[in-house]
Amino acid sequence: MVEKQAEKYVLKLTRVLNAPRQLVFDVWTDPKHFGQWWGPKGFTLHVSRMDVRPGGVFLGSQRSPDGQVMWGKFEYREVTPPEKLVFVQSFSDEEGNTVRAPFNPNWPLEILNVLTLAEEGGKTVLTLQGSPLNATEEERAVYEGMAASLQQGFEGTFQQLEEYLASRQ
Amino acid sequence: MNTATLSALAEPNRLQMVELLREGPLTVGEIADRLHVRQPQASKHLKVLHEARIVEMRPDANRRIYRLRPEPFQELDSWLDTFRRMWEDQFDRLDEYLQEFQKEEKK
Repeated sequence: MVEKQAEKYVLKLTRVLNAPRQLVFDVWTDPKHFGQWWGPKGFTLHVSRMDVRPGGVFLGSQRSPDGQVMWGKFEYREVTPPEKLVFVQSFSDEEGNTVRAPFNPNWPLEILNVLTLAEEGGKTVLTLQGSPLNATEEERAVYEGMAASLQQGFEGTFQQLEEYLASRQ
Repeated sequence: MNTATLSALAEPNRLQMVELLREGPLTVGEIADRLHVRQPQASKHLKVLHEARIVEMRPDANRRIYRLRPEPFQELDSWLDTFRRMWEDQFDRLDEYLQEFQKEEKK
């Protein structure tokens, strides 16, 4: 099945970074860099393994200031230096088995993230597109269909919807 | 946010129905007319939306009136918001790290 490259993700974020694209790609993919900025502020990140290639895995743990440890992982799908990184993100146990988010049972089990980097005048435009994933192909098709619908402008109208509903309360 | 909400919204007809109902409650017949679908097809989709608790139904004589429930959208919005905030914080850290690293390199 050929994957459509057209916009089909639930959430899209962009950020302009004052750094060359190769460096930005490096700090996402080189363990010696990645451990220095990944994770919430104030948390200590420990990189258990990081193998950045299709099928490879990043596995790391974060320790909160009060001693709580959470494990997370990336399973890489596509690695195209210096412009694209596709990975499935989830919470895990220390062996790398996918588990539910500890803080919310309704959080998606897995999230597909597509990271693209574009060079613009010495700066880098980073785009992250994310969407929930589930185990079965059928459920994946469902999310993709939904994302396609969302991208057709539902996100904009969704805000109007909220305002409308709030005004009717 | 859960699978039921997302899969209910995942279908173009159902999404159109949700957008229609933004303007106010409608009967099955009115929905079918506006979307140019046959009533049984509209009913089928409304059943999915009803089971996902995206709409609620009120009978009125022999009519069935559907209207939107705000809760699933609030949940979805809340999830999107958390996700967005988490990534924005992450990008802030990325930005700071890149600036520090480049400063160090220049020394």
